[in-house]
Amino acid sequence: MEIQGKILVIIPAFNEEGSIGKVVEEVRTYLPQIHALVVNDGSSDHTSEIARSKGAIVLDLPFNLGIGGAMQAGYKYAYVKGYDIAIQVDGDGQHDPKEILKLLHVLEEGKADVAIGSRFIGDSEYKASVMRRLGILILSKAISMIVGEKLTDPTSGFRAANRRAIELFSVNYPQDYPEPEAMVLLHQCGLKMKEVPVKINQRYSGESSITKIISIYYMVKVLLAIFVDCFKKRPVLKIGG
Amino acid sequence: MLIKFQIIIGILSFILLLGTFELIRKGRLREEYSILWLFTGGVTLLFSFWPQYILSRFLTRITGLYYLSTVVVIAFLFLLLIVLHFSVVVSKLTDRNKELAQRHALLELEFKELKRLYLPPDTVSP
Repeated sequence: MEIQGKILVIIPAFNEEGSIGKVVEEVRTYLPQIHALVVNDGSSDHTSEIARSKGAIVLDLPFNLGIGGAMQAGYKYAYVKGYDIAIQVDGDGQHDPKEILKLLHVLEEGKADVAIGSRFIGDSEYKASVMRRLGILILSKAISMIVGEKLTDPTSGFRAANRRAIELFSVNYPQDYPEPEAMVLLHQCGLKMKEVPVKINQRYSGESSITKIISIYYMVKVLLAIFVDCFKKRPVLKIGG
Repeated sequence: MLIKFQIIIGILSFILLLGTFELIRKGRLREEYSILWLFTGGVTLLFSFWPQYILSRFLTRITGLYYLSTVVVIAFLFLLLIVLHFSVVVSKLTDRNKELAQRHALLELEFKELKRLYLPPDTVSP
């Protein structure tokens, strides 16, 4: 497939020295014309050096900001450097770079401002604990209700954003539970989302940020955060086309 | 009995006011954070002078609390306000801190890039 425009892959990483090299390598092998930006979120290991040696642009945050702050830093870079499309990929290797083309395709058709890779539509064989699946199910129902369209995977961090969404995210990106909250934010600002079925790899290394025990607690907190978001003042933005 | 409490509370309020004032004077406390502290000191000081003042009597009647308890309740309410105010301040600072960290990282990357492009490596001292 022909890829047009300047495209950036944003990979947030916090102490991911075990997997970051492979992720960057894969992205650069499958998509050599795309730039890879690793946002090193104050790691204490060799994440930054490894990513740089594999040919990624590395943005070193002076200290840990959390996933929301790191992603936003990436979007700021994409905005300042004039990228047309930014793709976020997890640093732990669970997202297959080959699937990026599916996301790009949706944006190129112009049907949506943000394409979201979903593990729960199509022929995905994603395996997760019952608790986590239940948590994600309840969360997706709540967000679908707010947004007014069917969304199946609100915690997916595998997304592609066009210039409008990059501009929005560079100014305003949720900090606490960025993936589900970003969906609400996009809806509030009138940007369109579309889900795409993607396959998910087994993690190369590292633990999920949502472990089994705290998944209910996580879900309750996210629901609360989304509830509060609904009453927040809409961000005032003048987004150019 | 009442006069004893009056004196103690009066002295405490006075110390609080003086301390706040001193901190502002030395520039250790910014004025915007001091207003609530000064109010707390001022109100409790008023109470020590006029324990039967209208507000005190009114509060005693609606809460059924005695003089000392009323003062404690008022001081507590002010403390609540102060803590809430601090939470707002901390949130604002956290936001700015995040903004700064991001901008710092972006500038640093840009700087390294420029250095690499315009300065040959052997002229850069380690």
